[in-house]
Amino acid sequence: MNTLAASSPERSEQDVLTALQATVSASRLSLFLQCRLKFYFRYVLKLKKPKTASLHLGNAVHAVLKAWNKARWVQQPLSLKVVHETYQTAWADNTEGSVAWEPGEEEADKTTGWRLLDTYLRESHLPAAIKPDAVEVPVEADLQQHGLPRLIGILDLVQQRQIIDYKTSATTPNADKVSHTTEIQTCSYAILYRHNTGAQEAGMQLHHLVKLKNPKVVITTLPPMSPGQETRLFRQMEAYLEGLQRRDFIPSPGMHCSSCEFFNECRLWS
Amino acid sequence: MAIKLSANYSKKLGLPQYSSHSFSASVEVELNDITQVEAEVQKLYQLLQQSVDQEIQQPGFVPTANTNGNSRPAPQQKGRAQPVNGSGHPSAPPNADRWNCTDGQRGFILRIVNENPGITKQVAEELSQQLFGIGVKQLNKMQASQLIEDLLVLAGKPTPRQTRWQQQPTNAQAA
Repeated sequence: MNTLAASSPERSEQDVLTALQATVSASRLSLFLQCRLKFYFRYVLKLKKPKTASLHLGNAVHAVLKAWNKARWVQQPLSLKVVHETYQTAWADNTEGSVAWEPGEEEADKTTGWRLLDTYLRESHLPAAIKPDAVEVPVEADLQQHGLPRLIGILDLVQQRQIIDYKTSATTPNADKVSHTTEIQTCSYAILYRHNTGAQEAGMQLHHLVKLKNPKVVITTLPPMSPGQETRLFRQMEAYLEGLQRRDFIPSPGMHCSSCEFFNECRLWS
Repeated sequence: MAIKLSANYSKKLGLPQYSSHSFSASVEVELNDITQVEAEVQKLYQLLQQSVDQEIQQPGFVPTANTNGNSRPAPQQKGRAQPVNGSGHPSAPPNADRWNCTDGQRGFILRIVNENPGITKQVAEELSQQLFGIGVKQLNKMQASQLIEDLLVLAGKPTPRQTRWQQQPTNAQAA
């Protein structure tokens, strides 16, 4: 469960597709349903693209929140000074690739990330007295009995049977819309939680750290996954399997293309 | 001519004090074509099984040794039904040697202990108690996965950063 098989460069496209049919994650499924060609470029051809600034910021923020939650779990909460040092270290970590920063951009983004964390932690959204049930834990669920692939994922934080997911965002999320737009992810997490604990989640929370001039935290609380939502997810996974089987990698032009890193490759598709 | 397909799914579970409860769900659909039968049966079976499984987890009134089903009701059960074995009867008391996690997780934990002199069984047990307040063998799958992550960190072999954080949309970045 805790080892991820490294993909060998010699693997044939069919091998890659077979592996993708055997295992699915919320992000893979979401991307496939958003644009199959983008999915193909990222997960089948594995085209490399430069790391984005917002991804770098998100990773650094996430690393600090993980450290914060782990520390309070063992009742050794981090001081703000240690949190800042952790952030500095996380920011300097380029093991996943470097960002091609514009002049002055890195310092501005680094400050933004720190202000997000500072706001989040000062507002005490995670009281030290409440111990987590899990922090950034990789889990999987065998859905073979449903004729579906193995579902994998990582739960950011589980606390009092609530599944909590962190997101950094440039805009303030709308509660009604975000429950819909994140449904694949939240329902995947609910299934993972149920399969791995034998219990039903108490609910889910999305903690958005919003990158505004004055940073703010928006917490969206969602109820446990309903049977209808579970069925929807299973049907979406069926479509994923069938699409891979047919090699149905067609482009889906739309608003989302404006930020797509494969825009140029897509234009050449025929 | 329309073809009628009836499907029924029934499940009976054992409960304490030799009692049991059962639930069944039925559905009838019309098909236009006989070739739809196989796919429709598969879909209905999955739907009915999920629905029955979802509901049957609430056992409601459960007799205790004192009530044997005829006097005052037992306290309301929360969560899932009592664990049952394959024959539908209550499971035997937990075996002290039985692990709750998967065989793979058990093997992984034991391998970390065997291959890292600094991580003894006692270290693993103490970490489990510190995090979850229970022993290693009692950990569920999620807890075992967490323990493995933390033992690997202790061993100086943290798992590589997960690829989930790569290539997310830019306007709603996962942190």
